[in-house]
Amino acid sequence: MPDPAALALEHVTSGYGDLTVLRDVSVEVARGEVVGLVGPNGSGKTTLVRVASRALPPSAGSIRLGGLDPYGLSAREAARLVAVVPQDVTPAFSFTVLETVLMGRTPYLSALGGGGPQDWARARAAMAATEVQHLGDRPVEELSGGERRRVILAQALAQDAPLLLLDEPTTHLDIRHMLDVLAIVRRLAERERTAVLAIHHDLNLAAATCDRLIALHRGEVVAAGPPEAVVTSELLRGVYGVDADVSPDETTGRPTVRLAVPAEAAARLGRRAHVVGGAGRGARIMRMLAEAGYDVSVGVLHASDTDANAAERLNLLRVSVPPFSHIDAEAEDAARSMIREADALVVCDAPFGPGNVANLRLALEAAAAGVRTVLLEQVPIEERDFTGGEATALWSELRALARSVGSYEELAFELR
Amino acid sequence: MLGVAVGSVPISPGSALRLVAWKLGLAERPDVPRSTEVILFQLRLPRVALAVSVGLALAIAGTLFQGLFRNPLADPAIVGVSSGAALGAIAVIVAGGGALFGGLGVSLAAFVGGSVTAFFVYRLARVGPAVSVGTLLLAGIAVAAVISAVMSVVMSFAGEDIRSIYFWLLGGLSARGWTAVQVVGPLVLLGVAGAVMLIRDLNLVSLGEERAAQLGIDVDRFKWQAVAVGALLAGAAVSVSGVIGFVGLMTPHVMRLVVGSDHRRLLPAVILAGPMFLVLADLVSRVAIAPQELPLGAVTALVGGPFFLFLLRRERRRASARA
Repeated sequence: MPDPAALALEHVTSGYGDLTVLRDVSVEVARGEVVGLVGPNGSGKTTLVRVASRALPPSAGSIRLGGLDPYGLSAREAARLVAVVPQDVTPAFSFTVLETVLMGRTPYLSALGGGGPQDWARARAAMAATEVQHLGDRPVEELSGGERRRVILAQALAQDAPLLLLDEPTTHLDIRHMLDVLAIVRRLAERERTAVLAIHHDLNLAAATCDRLIALHRGEVVAAGPPEAVVTSELLRGVYGVDADVSPDETTGRPTVRLAVPAEAAARLGRRAHVVGGAGRGARIMRMLAEAGYDVSVGVLHASDTDANAAERLNLLRVSVPPFSHIDAEAEDAARSMIREADALVVCDAPFGPGNVANLRLALEAAAAGVRTVLLEQVPIEERDFTGGEATALWSELRALARSVGSYEELAFELR
Repeated sequence: MLGVAVGSVPISPGSALRLVAWKLGLAERPDVPRSTEVILFQLRLPRVALAVSVGLALAIAGTLFQGLFRNPLADPAIVGVSSGAALGAIAVIVAGGGALFGGLGVSLAAFVGGSVTAFFVYRLARVGPAVSVGTLLLAGIAVAAVISAVMSVVMSFAGEDIRSIYFWLLGGLSARGWTAVQVVGPLVLLGVAGAVMLIRDLNLVSLGEERAAQLGIDVDRFKWQAVAVGALLAGAAVSVSGVIGFVGLMTPHVMRLVVGSDHRRLLPAVILAGPMFLVLADLVSRVAIAPQELPLGAVTALVGGPFFLFLLRRERRRASARA
């Protein structure tokens, strides 16, 4: 007979008082499996974890932990079947790390017992697994957020339960500790065959680290299955209400989400602005202008440059040349006609080299012809002139004809 | 030991020990005046025993409530036990029933008043099967406020009895004799045993109720038990000694600074320190302006307050030096 699932919710409905938060939810997590629970705020993720951890009984449906109903067991018995890692724990009094982790052994101790050698060994092993063993005697409240998170994880590991529930295990962690925590969880699943259900806010992280994902929306399961079946642009639009590109990661093949502009439709101004950018200096301005309702054109850019990617994602009118090449006559003409139709020209403080100095000549030409021109100057031209002086000369000529601003706020004011 | 020895009539520790040994049939009767024997057995020893019991009860009740409420400012008065007990006592004094049950009428009334109030507050805070600790705190404070108002009304009818009421409200251990010890002792022992059973879970509850439940604690049952044991202890103490503040608030704090917050180490420390503190405070109250007595409650606050502040500041400095 196969093991009963570590966690099985069948048609569970639950909530608080008259408020129904989960509706007819069925979820199963097997031993050795890492499952991610995703969904927007208020979709019922935390409620589901509470139901599964014996904190909130379902009003309908059934829940089984390893085949047993936790609400029919004592708190102590249930705590041997499921361990929870909450987002944060703030003890009212000062406990050391070792004392805190040892508390995880509570379900195995008698009311008076302080824990035998075996309990200490388990606590030590859990501390080693989360790399907090060197902190043993430190008071928990003196630790950093990341360290405290790992102490709580160790406390849950010391519980030795076949099911581990994690409530956003990686929030407030830096990238390294985030990956460490997820690696620990993965190791547990592989070595101890622990079943893991983790709430994730970061879809990319969830897709990259979970075997399966379950998406909740308004208390119902709207998608479940392997990451590529759950993290789709349809889900993002339907559930989160955002437009996004989802494409397979180049190395792992897992779906990755790239967010586009918020879908709020800015009132069109019927005005056109042209942006001369490069190396990412223009990306924020493009978005700012697009959100303000401008029709934005960009160029000339080098393909694959940060600004070129941003323009592509924002779906702007753009002209670009291949990476590392010089701006050719064709591109120059295309940009010139874009600028001619523009009501305003914004020149960003991008680095200028032989490859793109033609942009400055175009800008000067337009400014001289009376196109309203604004220069964004946060970095002095001397520091981004890679032409041996030509760019600096062009820039000072431009400055004589254009308005020069030092911040995005000033720029917005200038173009309002 | 000091508590036995010092007083208007000094008794040397040596003669005290020998007298006790004689009483227990272990030695010859020492060569001391008959009056010394009477003072020792009828006054000093019962008084010290009472101080030990009351100190123990208040300090443990304080530890329990601070752990349960996750609030370092909680003390035995918090679920209304003290005010309920005081009301019971005052009502009996005013009604002239102080002499009932061999002089224990006031104590009995105080104990009943305290227990009933604690039970009432607990019921008030209960919604379904769960008791919110925050609501419990508020209900306790509100009920205590109502009770003290009622108390003021009752006291305005007191007339002649007002002196004994004030004395009772300020707390003291004088002239209670062995009867009081016999009544309170078993209750306190019962309470101590109960507290010992709860101590491990108290650690977990101080992480937060939901976390404690996740780690296998039946939190609702725990809360009920902790309030019952705490109320039993506090009620027993208040019933014989009146309202003595600061012992329950401070002893756990001071001991926490010394031995840390793990309640398994804290409780034994509190069991030692609570009685010691109260015996010493009682000693001061007896000898400071002898043969007059200072109110014990005033002494505990006067001695304990500054000492506590000193410890607190020292701890803060050390914490900031470490950070």
